Amino acid sequence: MLMSGGIDSPVSLYYLLRQGHDMVAVHLDNRPFTDDSPLEKIVDHLTVLNGRFGRKTPLYVLPHGPTQITLMRNTDRHFGCVMCRRFMWRSAEKIAEREGATFLATGESLGQVASQTLSNMRTATASVQLPIVRPLIGLDKQEIEAVAKSIGTYEISTRPGLCCQAVPDRPATKSNLLQILREEERIDVDAVIDDCVRRAVVM
Amino acid sequence: MTYSTLKLCSGRGAFEATPWPRLQLDLAPIAATLVAKGVPVTDARVMLIIGFARETTLSQDGRVLIKTQDVEEARRIFEELRGVAGLPEITDAPGAAPRIPERLIPP
Repeated sequence: MLMSGGIDSPVSLYYLLRQGHDMVAVHLDNRPFTDDSPLEKIVDHLTVLNGRFGRKTPLYVLPHGPTQITLMRNTDRHFGCVMCRRFMWRSAEKIAEREGATFLATGESLGQVASQTLSNMRTATASVQLPIVRPLIGLDKQEIEAVAKSIGTYEISTRPGLCCQAVPDRPATKSNLLQILREEERIDVDAVIDDCVRRAVVM
Repeated sequence: MTYSTLKLCSGRGAFEATPWPRLQLDLAPIAATLVAKGVPVTDARVMLIIGFARETTLSQDGRVLIKTQDVEEARRIFEELRGVAGLPEITDAPGAAPRIPERLIPP
């Protein structure tokens, strides 16, 4: 389960835990393009959900800042968000393989931000093989917020924090996979992912 | 060419200043000057991540983001960067308080 510290991912995790799945949380730590607050929020989200369901969801924290710097230095910024997501998915899939997980999950809902248009979601997830579960895909923000309030994660998610500074001024809302693959030819993708996953910390 | 007042970013975790019109900065010499002064800098090509007392980013288009919730500290750091990077002044009156959301103001 990809966790961001925002409103959506703990709600998504809540639905999957409620269904009885054993979940593993993964956070791609975006510092220095954000601050400590996303990680602090995720730790608190998991404390709430662990208490509610009476079992501990482990949290993997992976450094994503160096990946962002590599992308900034070498690729077209216009595609920054979708490329960032491709690397997040790849790193999460490596952790899933390590944990024997059979699917990946997020709190995405369609059309909410630049990385969550259908076009960009398709391009982003073409980087991984495991099936992807999105429990919130058809919910609107008000519905997600209502659930977040009822399960006690909303107040945590809305504490002050820094938005991702790596978001380009005008991120692409449409992307073409061939175009993105050409961009990625400028990077040693496997080395970037291996370096990220090798430095994972489990909490 | 000016900067609007320093204001809290939408996530309320930092202060930001945005120039109007946007600038087109050559970040390499700014990075070199900072490094020569002993300030740690990460050059991400489209932005610099600067190790002032509070981590600060300077984007190619002139946007500055300072990771503090203290406006006076943000102002001091902005001035420190302005001196190095030759950025325009902030246009609000000296000492004027930026607009801070009411719920962040202590009772």
